[in-house]
Amino acid sequence: MRWAFSSALVLVWTAVVAAKSFSGNRLLVVLEEQGEREKYSVFLEDLTSRGYTTTVESPKADKLSLFRHGERAYDHVLLLPAKSKGLGPALTANNILEFLKKEGNIIIALSSESGTPTAVQSALLELDISIPADKGAVVVDHFNYDATSASEKHDVLLLELPGAIRSSIKNYFGGDGYIAVPRAVGQVLGNESPLLAPVLRAPSTAYSYNPKDEAEAVEDPFAVGKQLNLISTMQANNAARLTVVGSAELLQNKWFSESAKLAGKTIKTANREFAHKLSAWTFKETGVLKVGKIIHYQDEGKSKKMNTSTAVPENNPGIYRVKTDVHFQVEISEYSNDHLIPFTPASTDNIQLEFSMLSPFQRLNLSPIAQTANATIFGVAFKTPDQHGIFNFRINYRRPFLTNIDEKRQVTVRHFAHDEWPRSWQISGAWVWIGGIWVTVAGWLAFVALWLWSKPAERSVKKTQ
Amino acid sequence: MPPKQRIPASTGTTTTASTPARSSRPSSSGTDAQAILQGIYDKYVSKTPQRVKLLDAFMAFLVVVGALQFFYVVLVGNFPFNAFLSGFSATVGQFVLTASLRIQTNPENKAEFENISHERAFADFVLGSLLLHFFCVNFIN
Repeated sequence: MRWAFSSALVLVWTAVVAAKSFSGNRLLVVLEEQGEREKYSVFLEDLTSRGYTTTVESPKADKLSLFRHGERAYDHVLLLPAKSKGLGPALTANNILEFLKKEGNIIIALSSESGTPTAVQSALLELDISIPADKGAVVVDHFNYDATSASEKHDVLLLELPGAIRSSIKNYFGGDGYIAVPRAVGQVLGNESPLLAPVLRAPSTAYSYNPKDEAEAVEDPFAVGKQLNLISTMQANNAARLTVVGSAELLQNKWFSESAKLAGKTIKTANREFAHKLSAWTFKETGVLKVGKIIHYQDEGKSKKMNTSTAVPENNPGIYRVKTDVHFQVEISEYSNDHLIPFTPASTDNIQLEFSMLSPFQRLNLSPIAQTANATIFGVAFKTPDQHGIFNFRINYRRPFLTNIDEKRQVTVRHFAHDEWPRSWQISGAWVWIGGIWVTVAGWLAFVALWLWSKPAERSVKKTQ
Repeated sequence: MPPKQRIPASTGTTTTASTPARSSRPSSSGTDAQAILQGIYDKYVSKTPQRVKLLDAFMAFLVVVGALQFFYVVLVGNFPFNAFLSGFSATVGQFVLTASLRIQTNPENKAEFENISHERAFADFVLGSLLLHFFCVNFIN
């Protein structure tokens, strides 16, 4: 029985290994017209070759459902633009958000030609991502356009692969080359949500504009410059990921390695590579952190003076004393494409350990102290505060593009036991008073001796009387 | 040595000697303060029994040791406060015990402590002192 169970485990394990994603390999591609499938064939082929089992469904299909028996029926969803205004009962805004709540990942591709379904629009609005309300609005740039395909309209943008949005954030989408972003729908991200992060921003010379407007000049554009995001992402607190691709054409075969012309020089688009990186991130092939073993122990070497026990330090004890030296270590791995590698944070970034009771008493940077084949061991040594109570070792690490780490280990911190205080003679300040006591005792002994010595004199006096 | 020899002469009259001692001060010495002090000292040396003198010397010694410890705490600080408490209270407690021994064994108070022998008083004193020392050494840790 046990043998059967373990072999079943092995089977499950191999099934998991076959998939490249950290969370699963069931991919649903929502495509309205099956004829359109050809346009995305290279991208879908790439996904299949990375281990995804792809199901292509029309949004109106009867059997289409994101859930089965209350659980996710798919791990990932690729939502390609549909002509019709509604997406049907299976893909309401509520269903899309529910799918995210159950840790499913979604790529939503928008298109200015076909317009955005209201379900998608309201789901995005719920996440604080706004897109232009009118159909046909495109992002235009008169400086970074492709001269071969859009010499008149300037609506095919050629942009370098994005760099890191801040120096303290790892970049999962960078590289060399240019991406062609044809006829994109720009998005504006709300300021309030810390879960949103832009991947590809429009250049400062770009603006959103609807070519159907008859007006001579653009008045009151939806958004301009770097406010506009061509590709933006949202990572929920449960690490579900959602990517909004402003231009579905970006994922189509014809732009995957097209030669384009930017400001006179001919270049080759790197859309295929970029689409790979984008889908790999969204479907949790990259940027997934995994916490391994957490160890904390008392440093006997340093606090030996205060501690009388000679035992080997016990790992992860449930109790510490105030003012002892404590070591903390944690293994952190990063999932990269198909295996775990040692995680290294960006050069200006640090993972921090908090030692907290209600509020942190210590907040310390963890530094890498060793590396194993697939994990970095981060560690820090510190002294427990002079405060007893119930404390937590806590690592709370939340960064854009990385899954969240929130680990807690609860320990008790006790006060000194009565025999753990230093003895009086170990404190030089007490020597005067120790001397005082012994001088008193010595004087008393001398007095007693003298008293007994002088006693017979009085007796003899009494007798003589 | 000379005071020792005087004791046998004075012990018989110690109970009554205190009253005439007071009246004799103004008459014997004049207005000179030094003469007064000299007179007191002479009276003390001549009239006090040797054991009481021994008690007085020990008590003076305790006062000096206690005062030194107190000055130290004022000047330097009371960091191991329990050490100060036990060191200082050792002298204070010893002083109190010695004072009670002095009261009980002073021949002047013989009428009040008729049923307490000097041996009994001394045994009480030794027991109390040992308890005190035990307490102080424990308290200073």
